Amino acid sequence: MNNFFEVENVDFVVGGNTKVKNMSFSIEKEGDIVCLLGPSGIGKTTILRAIAGLEKIKNGHIKLKGKILSSEKTNIEPENRNISLAFQENSLFPHYSVEKNILLGAEKNPDNKDKKVSFNEIVNLLDISKILNQYPHQISAGEAQRASLARSLLSKPDLLLLDEPLSNVDQGHKEDIQEKIKKLLAKLKITTIIVTHDSYEAFYLGTKCGIILNNELKQYDDPYNVYHLPNSIEVVNFLNRGILIPAKVTSPKSLENDELGTITGNFVKPFPLGADVKLLIQPEDLEHDDKSNLQLEVVDRKFRGTNFIYTLKTMKNLLLPVFVHSHHIHQHDLQEKFGIKRPIHIEHLVCF
Amino acid sequence: MTKKFNIWFVLSFTISLFVCIPIITVFSSFFQNTSNYYEVLKDTFLIEYILNSLTLLVLVLIFTFILGTGTAYLVSFFKFPLSDFFKWALILSFAVPPYIYAYSLTAFFDNYGTAFTVLTNLLGEGEYNKIIPKFNGMFGAVLSMTFSLFAYVFILSRASFLYQSQNLIDLGKNLGFSRFKSFFKIILPAARPAIVAGLSLVAMETLAEFGAVDFFSINTLTTGIYNSWIAFDDLAFANRIASFLLLFIFSLFIIENLSRKKAKYHLNIKGGFKQKEKIKLKGTKSFFAFVFCFFVFFMSFIFPLSQMLYWTIKFPENLFDLQIVTLSLNTLYLALLSSTVLISFSLISNYGSRVTNNKTLNIISTMSISGYAIPGVILAVAFITFIAWFDNTIIKSLGFLSIKKIFFGSILGLVLVYFIRFYSLAFNGIKSGYEKINIAVDESAYMLGYSKRKTFMNIHIPFLRNSLLLIVILISLEIIRELPITLILRPFNFETFATTAYVSASEDLLEAAAVPSLFLILIASIFIIIASKYILREHNE
Repeated sequence: MNNFFEVENVDFVVGGNTKVKNMSFSIEKEGDIVCLLGPSGIGKTTILRAIAGLEKIKNGHIKLKGKILSSEKTNIEPENRNISLAFQENSLFPHYSVEKNILLGAEKNPDNKDKKVSFNEIVNLLDISKILNQYPHQISAGEAQRASLARSLLSKPDLLLLDEPLSNVDQGHKEDIQEKIKKLLAKLKITTIIVTHDSYEAFYLGTKCGIILNNELKQYDDPYNVYHLPNSIEVVNFLNRGILIPAKVTSPKSLENDELGTITGNFVKPFPLGADVKLLIQPEDLEHDDKSNLQLEVVDRKFRGTNFIYTLKTMKNLLLPVFVHSHHIHQHDLQEKFGIKRPIHIEHLVCF
Repeated sequence: MTKKFNIWFVLSFTISLFVCIPIITVFSSFFQNTSNYYEVLKDTFLIEYILNSLTLLVLVLIFTFILGTGTAYLVSFFKFPLSDFFKWALILSFAVPPYIYAYSLTAFFDNYGTAFTVLTNLLGEGEYNKIIPKFNGMFGAVLSMTFSLFAYVFILSRASFLYQSQNLIDLGKNLGFSRFKSFFKIILPAARPAIVAGLSLVAMETLAEFGAVDFFSINTLTTGIYNSWIAFDDLAFANRIASFLLLFIFSLFIIENLSRKKAKYHLNIKGGFKQKEKIKLKGTKSFFAFVFCFFVFFMSFIFPLSQMLYWTIKFPENLFDLQIVTLSLNTLYLALLSSTVLISFSLISNYGSRVTNNKTLNIISTMSISGYAIPGVILAVAFITFIAWFDNTIIKSLGFLSIKKIFFGSILGLVLVYFIRFYSLAFNGIKSGYEKINIAVDESAYMLGYSKRKTFMNIHIPFLRNSLLLIVILISLEIIRELPITLILRPFNFETFATTAYVSASEDLLEAAAVPSLFLILIASIFIIIASKYILREHNE
């Protein structure tokens, strides 16, 4: 079966410098959302620009609906691809009102009956009805971003590219808009690639997530797997949601750590008995138990509204993160002892 | 792809290179032989030329600083009678070029001039010539240039004062500063880049000024260039003096450029900007603010205008002798033709720079905009030198007929030199317009299916429309006032208001110079009034 969209062995370059090497990923069916995650300056925007036709590629090809858009020989002009890119910076036409700017999007594909969406629906969804008569220089960066997004959505593209679409939107609006965008994209079946550095945004919106690190696509998988089953130490470090501790494989379903004792679970990939490995411990992996004989010192406590993340120090100076619900009956202050339930059981044993 | 547009590169490169010709020509004069005039002049007048130019420069800078920042401060920070009127009325002084101001000064204060007539009519016959001060020579030239050029400092410092946030003023109050101390410790230093930029423009205009210094018979480097060419027919020497002057002017040009960059930085501050509230002046403070602004407005605009009007009424035969329709058409024809050519080519080179984003092109473009720093006399002489060299060495060696006639004494030659002189006005004007259009805007247009041409026509041109209109007005204004280039390169019997006024004045027929001067002031004023809407924009778009 042909993929709806395909990037095959592509080197993404800017001004002669290769930003991302030999990248391959595909979107199987129309309407899927892919989120590309990575640190700033890694080349995420370059990927979007190349897909849009604004930058050339080296090696490989980019295909949409079975048609090659870019390769070393072929290069379809940006205006002739039915792709829309919503830029991170303000890209509204400065001499038109916000309303006129958005309506220009509708002029692109007036006959596309598959993707029916009205101007009013999008404007209300993105909460920009109050700024329609204003000009781009009179609105905030967040409003400009939403107006630009509205224009892109109205243009009913085959492929929508969003570059940090909500980076300037305030936190209060963000989650609400994320939810609405997700529903609308699903309704319109608009295939979308979103570039973001916000992993929560990526995990929420994406059907698939790609992690780009050190000039390459390190992992391309569904969000659950990216989070719980990271495929490399680099991905673990990038997501910054746990630590790696030394352990020895003692059976096909257990490991042993000097300080934490036996840890049971299912290995994501097999290791020989007696092998020294690094085990990923995520905040959700350890359970609090006041009565446990494994008591560790609290060295930090982060309040996150719905939960606390405690950082505990072992005798050998390992720093372990532990998730505790914020309605937990009592709190632990710094330097107090904090009990960890034993034996420790972790569903997925992610080892390297 | 967006990165590859060789045709744009070639066009932009050619335009920029053409504009660089005079600079290359002037500096190549060092390798040419000069006549004996150089030896004579070197031991006699050269020092005088340099000293006069410097004296003029220093005095004009001091006076324009006082008048420009003083009036800008008053209209930007305070409310007093007619303060809103002075805001734009003070720039009307641009309509009076220094040489016409010089004619007015002489016409009014000279023996048996207008002042004498006024006193005689008021007080009866008397020996008034002895008590009426004479403003000629160096002092006359300084006054003419001060009142004619102070508006550069006024406009730029006012723009800078305008964008100073109320927060800055409040900070001064918070620190316990008096209004006087706030001005010198906060307001003035914050506006320094803009003021320096304004003064640099005044300096360049002063060093380039030809009409007024020629009228007052002051020997400066500019008149030296003109004389060594006209009187001694020594183009190489004219260029050699020009290169000295250019070196000096380029250092000012660099200062101005650096200052402007800083000034721009000040304007770009976003957030935390609080609109200033103007302080309403009362009593004597209000009176003195009004008197100061009125004095500057009166002296810079009303005085020369009424003097020229008075003489036009007093000697009406000059009005009837003058072919006003022809002169108006000639002046407007030159202005519109040149601005059309300038706008078209500047759009091409700017668009070329934008879509090619080539470093070499950017450097050449930057060099090419230095044309406005080069005095008109130098440009005209360099142009003649270049064409003569090109004709003698290349055209003739190829066996073709001489091309001198095509360029000397022709509209084509005139428009080409105007092109070099005012290219920076058009190029920079369009460039600053383009800087407001984020490159993502172009790319968004492509995303909406717009071709390059459609993006240019539907996005760039409508957005740049106001800038283009302003550029046409500013170029027209410059060309209406321009003297030396027109004087040297105009076709035989082709006159503008500026050249007619100059020719009459140089023949000591000041009364006859009044009519063309009056028309020049009136036409220029109309252009200024239209342009003021843009120049004095209160809100950042």
